[in-house]
Amino acid sequence: MRAYLLRRLLVMIPTLFWISLIVFVVLNLAPGRPGELGGDVETNARGEQTQDSFRIFREQFNLDKPILLNTRPWLTPAEVRRDLEMAAELQPVSIAERIAAQDRLGDLGAYGVPHFMAVLEQANAAGQPRLRDAAAYFLRQSAPRRLSDPFNPHPSAAVRAYNDGVARERAALGRLRYGFDAREADKQAVLAGWREWYTGARARFEYEDVEKLRILFFDTRFAKYWNNLLRLDLGVSLATREPVLSALLSKLKYSVSLSLSSLALAYLIAVPIGVVSAARRGTPLDRVTTVALFMLHSLPSFFVATMLLLAFSEASPWPALRLFPTGGFQSRDVAEMTTLGRLRDVVWHLVLPVACLTYGSLALLSRYVRSGLLEVLGADYIRTARAKGLSERAVIGKHALRNSLLPIITLLANLLPAVVGGSVVIEYIFGIPGIGQWTIDSIHRRDYNVIMGVQLVTTVLVLLGMLLADVGYALADPRIRYR
Amino acid sequence: MAAGAASEREAAVGPGTPAPSYSAMVAARFAQRRLAVFGGRAVLGLALLATLAPALAQNQPFYWDAGQGAELPWLSALFNRLLFENAVDLFFNLLLVLAVPAALVIRLLRRLRPGLTRARAWLGALGVALSLFVCASVEGVGDLKNPLYFTQRVVNYRVERERLAALGQEPVAWFPVVPYSYRETDPQHSLRSPSSEHWLGTDSEGRDVFCRMLYGTRVSLTIGIVAVSIYVAIGTALGALAGYFGGWVDTLICRLVEVMITFPSFFLILTLAALIPRRSIFHVMLIIGLTSWTGVARLVRAEFLRQKNLDYVQAALALGLPRRRVIFRHILPNAVAAALVAATFGIASAILTESSLSFLGVGDMSVASWGETLSAGRVQQKAWLVLAPGAAIFFVVTVFNLVGEGVRDALDPKLRQ
Repeated sequence: MRAYLLRRLLVMIPTLFWISLIVFVVLNLAPGRPGELGGDVETNARGEQTQDSFRIFREQFNLDKPILLNTRPWLTPAEVRRDLEMAAELQPVSIAERIAAQDRLGDLGAYGVPHFMAVLEQANAAGQPRLRDAAAYFLRQSAPRRLSDPFNPHPSAAVRAYNDGVARERAALGRLRYGFDAREADKQAVLAGWREWYTGARARFEYEDVEKLRILFFDTRFAKYWNNLLRLDLGVSLATREPVLSALLSKLKYSVSLSLSSLALAYLIAVPIGVVSAARRGTPLDRVTTVALFMLHSLPSFFVATMLLLAFSEASPWPALRLFPTGGFQSRDVAEMTTLGRLRDVVWHLVLPVACLTYGSLALLSRYVRSGLLEVLGADYIRTARAKGLSERAVIGKHALRNSLLPIITLLANLLPAVVGGSVVIEYIFGIPGIGQWTIDSIHRRDYNVIMGVQLVTTVLVLLGMLLADVGYALADPRIRYR
Repeated sequence: MAAGAASEREAAVGPGTPAPSYSAMVAARFAQRRLAVFGGRAVLGLALLATLAPALAQNQPFYWDAGQGAELPWLSALFNRLLFENAVDLFFNLLLVLAVPAALVIRLLRRLRPGLTRARAWLGALGVALSLFVCASVEGVGDLKNPLYFTQRVVNYRVERERLAALGQEPVAWFPVVPYSYRETDPQHSLRSPSSEHWLGTDSEGRDVFCRMLYGTRVSLTIGIVAVSIYVAIGTALGALAGYFGGWVDTLICRLVEVMITFPSFFLILTLAALIPRRSIFHVMLIIGLTSWTGVARLVRAEFLRQKNLDYVQAALALGLPRRRVIFRHILPNAVAAALVAATFGIASAILTESSLSFLGVGDMSVASWGETLSAGRVQQKAWLVLAPGAAIFFVVTVFNLVGEGVRDALDPKLRQ
């Protein structure tokens, strides 16, 4: 059993990897980028200052890196030159294309430096001042190195020495600039400064083949994300700058209490209903419950939720029916309540949402209980039990039920993703501040780290739930052995 | 069970005739289930309603004469892309105009060529309609304008009649029963409760709710059928590959299925839908189709695993038939029954998913979606705005579930419990 558990847990890792890959690619290929909320490209002319802060933002979240494969070490000067010509308006392109070219160049970082240098020299020699100035501009943006481990309050001596060097170099490079309207002689002096720096720093931008391969796979957004993930760091929310993991854990309690109570309730109600309708097979009672459950199964939960709110909350037109709150998880004055009062308050808030989340899985479950029981009732050992004169109650309750209940444990694995997904709509309608509602908000804000974190954590929960279902099945049925 | 099957067979064709085909037996078993037959009829009725929607609700009169000669605005409005902008509407309008001529042509063809079965003829007609639809839905290629892409200034004839009536004129106008269009907003008449003028009231932008419900049938049916077709195609292909070839193909596909199953798929669908800028209803269909194929793939795979060792497959292979033919012509028809059941239930759940999406505000806002009206009713706290779309969704989902149960029982009586 222990070996089986261990193997199942290990198999989760590749599954998680693939899921993170899918979500990651989907999120990163989607148009619209974080840090650039609202506003369309046409009107979004950015000044140099905002350009800088935007670049720093992108570097901070690794958004300047390629998504899956980093092919930048194989870049040619011709490609960079084409983008530079577009960025400097030397080619007739639309504004959107120009801004895209500028963004591509801004993201290149150190990989662009040798090419900027090459284009700069070419343009200087060929007498193309605009192209040369554009190259110099991007060179100045890309040349400074990044500080190593900048947020560590107690860096080691080596790191401190490295960072001091970087800071000195940055200061020196910061002086190597000219305005576009500067005199030609001044410009040439600055260019000479760049040449001198580049001859000294050149080795930094030349990569061995192994190094190139490492960059290809590991200097990417996805690799950096997984690097953080292995340290249980889901990043920070791009919108609120909160760490995703802690925010997620604090919201999880709402969603989990919603999902778990609804699942528990569904099992508790479904079993008696299924047993009764199987035991009274073919009677009007059975037919009525079958039809009723069938119809419940077809009722959209958001419709039921909205109707329940309209009928039984403060919004109800009939004062006598204003029994439940319009939404939320707790009352506002929860701090002044006793523990028991607090519990009652939560239950009072959860009645309607749990009811909405429960009835769908209830219908499915009791159908399974009914058909499972019917199947077992035809077995030989039931005939034996009846033949030896046991009461119908004992036959069903003791002999049939126990055996028929086993398969519905595994149904948990099927229900879990549906319940987790369904709680999105329910949380949205009832204003419960759980992960479902958070997801909807984050999707609208393009808060990638949050969406990604929520997907991963819910997937882990679902995987654990499935494992739990399998283990529970093995514990309940001695015939099943996992190896 | 054997006696039952025999009597069913006799019920289908009567004694003395040769054994009926598999599909005839399935149809006979389906016909025995009253609720399933009701569901099937209701689906046909809904399809009819969807097709006839402009004839029932439209602000263009069939016949119009304001003293400057007779006009037929309704007919030309059907293909006016400024009025019916959406491709779903275009398809159903084509169907509306072409259904009767198609029936006549098919009748004639069947008389000329007695070998032509009715099902095949209608399938051909659908093919012609689809290709016409594709031709007409493209606005143009480069500078070339598509002559079938028809635009015309939209005149609201109901408002026009009111204007003329105020001037003391009385134009001759034959309007459909509900003289509103589903996108026609009227801020002065927003949030009216049901009345003889607006049968189901108006929404927060003053659009007639009955009209939106009617046109919403088109959206729901299209969503259900297109999304399910996409995922049945994907699921069947992958399931067949996995089941037939086994080995690493099987392992790969099974891993993929496992990964997709652990996704809370509604999260994924929601994320995908929300990230698409200017999404249309077809994006929603594609997303549902691309994320929901796992069930079908598993069913088809299991069926292939079972069938591929049966004698008839061995016989086909021994005959030297190409593998492609064995897979597609021999095994697939036997394996597809399970997928068919899943597909019928899938239509219901695809409709539910779409309405949840538009309820959350990530659907296509340009079509008349039931979920959107429901969401407006929630925001405005108006019961009639919630009840009408809720009942519509409930009805459609129930009806497809009923058909699904019928199909399941008819295809495999053993599953019946």
